[in-house]
Amino acid sequence: MPPQVVRLVLLTLGIVGSYMVARYFLTPASFHQYGWFRGAALEEIAAREPVFAGKEACNECHSEVSQKQAKGPHKTLSCETCHGVSRDHAGNPDIMPAKLTGSHCIRCHEDNPSRPAWLKQIVLKGHYSGKCSECHVPHQPNEVP
Amino acid sequence: MKQPLTRRNVLFKIGGTLAGLLSFAAARTAKAAVQKHFVSTLAPKGYDPTKHKWLMALDIEKCIGCGLCVEACKTENKVPKGATYFRTWIERYIIKKPEPGSGESRGEVLVDSPNGGISGFPPALVPREEILKSFFVPKLCNLCENSPCTQACPVGATFDSPDGAVLIDPNYCIGCGFCIQACPYGCRFMNPETKTAEKCTLCYHRITRGLKPACVEICPTEARIFGDLKNPIADDPIQNFIAKNKIQALKPHLGTGPRVLYAGMDKEVR
Repeated sequence: MPPQVVRLVLLTLGIVGSYMVARYFLTPASFHQYGWFRGAALEEIAAREPVFAGKEACNECHSEVSQKQAKGPHKTLSCETCHGVSRDHAGNPDIMPAKLTGSHCIRCHEDNPSRPAWLKQIVLKGHYSGKCSECHVPHQPNEVP
Repeated sequence: MKQPLTRRNVLFKIGGTLAGLLSFAAARTAKAAVQKHFVSTLAPKGYDPTKHKWLMALDIEKCIGCGLCVEACKTENKVPKGATYFRTWIERYIIKKPEPGSGESRGEVLVDSPNGGISGFPPALVPREEILKSFFVPKLCNLCENSPCTQACPVGATFDSPDGAVLIDPNYCIGCGFCIQACPYGCRFMNPETKTAEKCTLCYHRITRGLKPACVEICPTEARIFGDLKNPIADDPIQNFIAKNKIQALKPHLGTGPRVLYAGMDKEVR
């Protein structure tokens, strides 16, 4: 074999060999666990702490409120829909959830022609200037306070 | 040619085998030392992605455009503030009445999404009497079966998880942005802080702990329905949704196999 071909073969073997060595060391162990990606990435993405506590956490202490709520039109609402992120409150009852203002009701119930007809809507201007809760009970909207 | 069985040759053979075995063991130890840098174990225990198949469905008739889901998503996932960074958002469709005598079935279609609908929607852009119909469409990752973003990714950072979520490995993403261009639904964006692509993960850190995604948890009208197709619960919401509604998907003609289901969708929705 001519020497230049031998050199070329050796060079090729050297390059391929060093690639194989690099691949052996650098491919993460979980790479082919589920497919052509790093299986450990699933765990890393799942490792973040949740922010919203979820209705079940609220029910551990406030089940009587959600039982009442389940009888009215607001039965589909989660507690944190109106009360805001309450994860800290779920861990420590002394930390109160964010306080609400009347503008929160309007966020869903202000009249808008794009909203579906089944949703109760009002035009706030000219409706009433006081607090919503003077006439409406947020947990049982069908009842009068 | 067979070597003669001398003491010298036998000793050489034993020595060679031992050296080979030792270097193999040394390579494995060295590999384990290198691999340590890749591994982290903070995840919830006992979750097997092959035993779940998650799906989200959206009921357009129920969406009231309050934008609480968009806000909840940003809070839950620490999505950067700003009008171009959304993992989920709401679009308002306004279909005007056709011009009298035009012979058209519908008039002009107006679509808007002010800041993704995160603070709700201002009053309609056109007077009520000019509107033929109007509705809200929540958007998110369509969890494609043949996801073009996965195919576009040059480094294997985006992948289809066996449980149905399309996820990004933030340690592998090089921030080239090909996936953002590849997604026909506009569901991806470049995070300006991490300089990596980002998208809806179906709140992977929540669903692996048995919680609902933040948008589903917060939606006040159950317009967003979420479930596990492999483990239906009693009176399963997603099975009921599929049974009761006429289902459509977004842009099915593109062949991406969008899995997210929409009910009550009009033909103007893209």
